[in-house]
Amino acid sequence: MKAEPRTILRFLLEYFDIIIELYETQTKDGVITRELLNEITIKHNIDIKVQLIDYKILSSVNDNYEIRTVYYNLVEFILSEFKPMLPETIEKFHVSISELFRKIKENINGDKVILNQRLAELANEIRTFYEMVEKNTISLLNETRELKANVKKIDYREKIVRASRWIDEYIIPLNKILDINHSSSIANKLYDISEYTNRYRLSCDEESSRTLFEKLYFQLIQVNDNLLRQSKILTTELLPLIERIRTESIILTGWITFLKNPYKQKVPRMPEGRRMHIYSKNTFFNAAEIFEQFKNDVDVYFDDEVNVEEKWIFDKEYFTKKLRSNLPVNDFFKWCSKTLKEEYKKVEIEKFFALTTLAFDEDIERDFGTKPESDKIKINDLTLTVPKITINKHGIS
Amino acid sequence: MEFPNHHRQIVEDLISGKFILPTERTYTVLKENEQSYTYFFKASFNYELKITQDFAYLVSDESNEMLSRDVCIFIALLSYELDRDGKNFLERIQFSEFEVEEIENYFTNSSYIDLILSNKQLRDTDSRKNFLNTLNRRNIIEKTADNRFVFTSAHKFFMDFAADIVKYENVEKE
Repeated sequence: MKAEPRTILRFLLEYFDIIIELYETQTKDGVITRELLNEITIKHNIDIKVQLIDYKILSSVNDNYEIRTVYYNLVEFILSEFKPMLPETIEKFHVSISELFRKIKENINGDKVILNQRLAELANEIRTFYEMVEKNTISLLNETRELKANVKKIDYREKIVRASRWIDEYIIPLNKILDINHSSSIANKLYDISEYTNRYRLSCDEESSRTLFEKLYFQLIQVNDNLLRQSKILTTELLPLIERIRTESIILTGWITFLKNPYKQKVPRMPEGRRMHIYSKNTFFNAAEIFEQFKNDVDVYFDDEVNVEEKWIFDKEYFTKKLRSNLPVNDFFKWCSKTLKEEYKKVEIEKFFALTTLAFDEDIERDFGTKPESDKIKINDLTLTVPKITINKHGIS
Repeated sequence: MEFPNHHRQIVEDLISGKFILPTERTYTVLKENEQSYTYFFKASFNYELKITQDFAYLVSDESNEMLSRDVCIFIALLSYELDRDGKNFLERIQFSEFEVEEIENYFTNSSYIDLILSNKQLRDTDSRKNFLNTLNRRNIIEKTADNRFVFTSAHKFFMDFAADIVKYENVEKE
């Protein structure tokens, strides 16, 4: 059944909600299953399956359905909902455009009908190419902004993966295609074509061909301008934006990982703040303060360092016992000197004086004789003059 | 022997653990004399001089791990809370001014409150105030008023560390 064009358009308008739902299903799943088609029509309370097939809006694929490309593209265009295309898909225009251009150049003086046909085809290819680039830029911008707003609450790691994929697989290759300075880019090829058509729009003998060259030339001026704009969007807006999303997500993922166990992670080496004010502004005053302390001081001399020996402690009990066992002692000071010499290799004066304190013991009975006598005792280099004291008794012994 | 201009300031700042920033004239002198200063700090103090496009600093074996860890926790928490608040944390830290009150709100209402309370330098308002002063002394932040500050480019030292965590994690997985 061949439907009237107006009928089809009216049908599309009337059931546009259902068409959109079918379009979204196909975009999401790649296909519209028979069950899903039934569900959608039941939901809208109308059975339009027959018309969808008759008007060639849907075509059957095995037991399922697909929206025909022409309608799919129409809805996509109306909704401005493009999916990013892989640059490989766009890259194919490089071949078709180059090939047509080569043939135009080679047969510029050949059959004018074929030349005009090729010129028209070339214009068509360039238009399609540009539309694809534009669609891709729009779709990438939409996707990036959505990722930025993170409406779908995507995990940070997933954000890194997506941002990296768009940069590496879509934006950088697309930018190469649009880079006019790159000799093998399509933009560069279009620039060559533009120069060539500019020449022939004036010099071509055949008027119809001249008109086509003229048309192509102005089309190219516009396309080149637009491509430049697209390229700028990619490099100045899209790439930094998506690069920022990637960096942000990487950093935030890093921090979240760090916060899981902040005391077990290695941290960056940060300088230790040292207070070594070698060059401090206050050095002069600090130094002056120190030196001023010594300004009016007297000279101080230090003795040669002596080896510190273990401090000798007078064992009064021990020597009292010794004295008692030697009683009676005729000459107490001599006894002191003799006892110390027996006990120690070296007798210091302090030991001597310590031992002589026994003479003041209250329990001792001292006899100074009838006539005071004195004696000389030598301790090291010192000669002492001491009285003669006799000890006869200690305590009750 | 002649030393470059601001030599005293350069040595004093770096030795005291400061980051020297590209906005300071000492940074230009350091950059122009990078080789001699690298040698000077190595020979005099056994310190390694690092100069990036965002800051210059000294590294030694006696690095201050505790402060470094606390700064990491501080920036990590702030980044997390800003993001949770729907803010673009990287742009905010890089370009905007912060009010101490804003920081207080984020820290007192954070879901990481246990971590905050267990950290001596971050656990309460007074500790955080002192901590901000430490960051100011180290040139990690710059106080614009008593209760306002901006992050200096030295914050990238810590952001690079966070990015490295993910990179190393990925390398380990590979």
